[in-house]
Amino acid sequence: MNTTTQQSDSALVSLYIAGNESAFEQLVNRHKNKVYTTILLIVKDSYTAEDLMQDAFIKAIHTMKSGRYNEEGKFSSWICRIAHNLAIDFFRKEKRSPMITLEDGSNVFNNMSFSEDSAESLQIKEDTYARLRELIQTLPQSQREVLMMRHYADMSFQEIADATGVSINTALGRMRYALINLRKKMLNSNIAYDKNLYSE
Amino acid sequence: MIKTSTQNELIQYVYDELADDAREHLETALMQDDELAEGCSELLLVQRMLNGAVKSPSKRSIDNILNYSKSLSLQS
Repeated sequence: MNTTTQQSDSALVSLYIAGNESAFEQLVNRHKNKVYTTILLIVKDSYTAEDLMQDAFIKAIHTMKSGRYNEEGKFSSWICRIAHNLAIDFFRKEKRSPMITLEDGSNVFNNMSFSEDSAESLQIKEDTYARLRELIQTLPQSQREVLMMRHYADMSFQEIADATGVSINTALGRMRYALINLRKKMLNSNIAYDKNLYSE
Repeated sequence: MIKTSTQNELIQYVYDELADDAREHLETALMQDDELAEGCSELLLVQRMLNGAVKSPSKRSIDNILNYSKSLSLQS
């Protein structure tokens, strides 16, 4: 029986530092999708995103194992910030244009799971998410940054404000415009916008 | 016209960051203001779509990370 399943991130980090590898496995499985998506949205290349995700977790391993982990912040924010910085560094070094490269030629969200959907609705969702990802790239940088920090790095608006050097009202305003702009872009692009498709 | 302060509170509400008293105040306003309620509904819809647009990495990459960690433990 896995006793780490319901533990908080903080408890799992402590267990891992004490030598519990299953605690780390739980942490990785809990945060891998958001870390990976954070990187993918920046580098737009699945192979590169896989590599950088590994680099991010390896950096985290070294920080935790060497006793340099700061327990004041949230683990999710910390690991996503490492991922974000690695992805940005990669772009600065490569100085290249974004390019989508996929292993099977399909869209970037091809591995998403919709187990209870029909083939038709599955395809509509896949197409919609692929287009949504493209639209995120067209947002102004300041709006895209806030959106990614809040959605994929699990940072609060106050944490985002602190990290980007703006007031919380500015961070909230940027997020508001990001969501409104995305909605407008979706409507202008005739993207499927059926509320029933996205109900829980 | 919705005030900017209210629109910012709406964002905090959608992301579950609004303090309890402010949340209760906003929920009362949402029941009385159709424009505000519609705006909230639209934000929730986009938010839900963004939450769905998360992709999973390959199992191989995850195995590489876990194996690396284990190899460090064995060395120490």
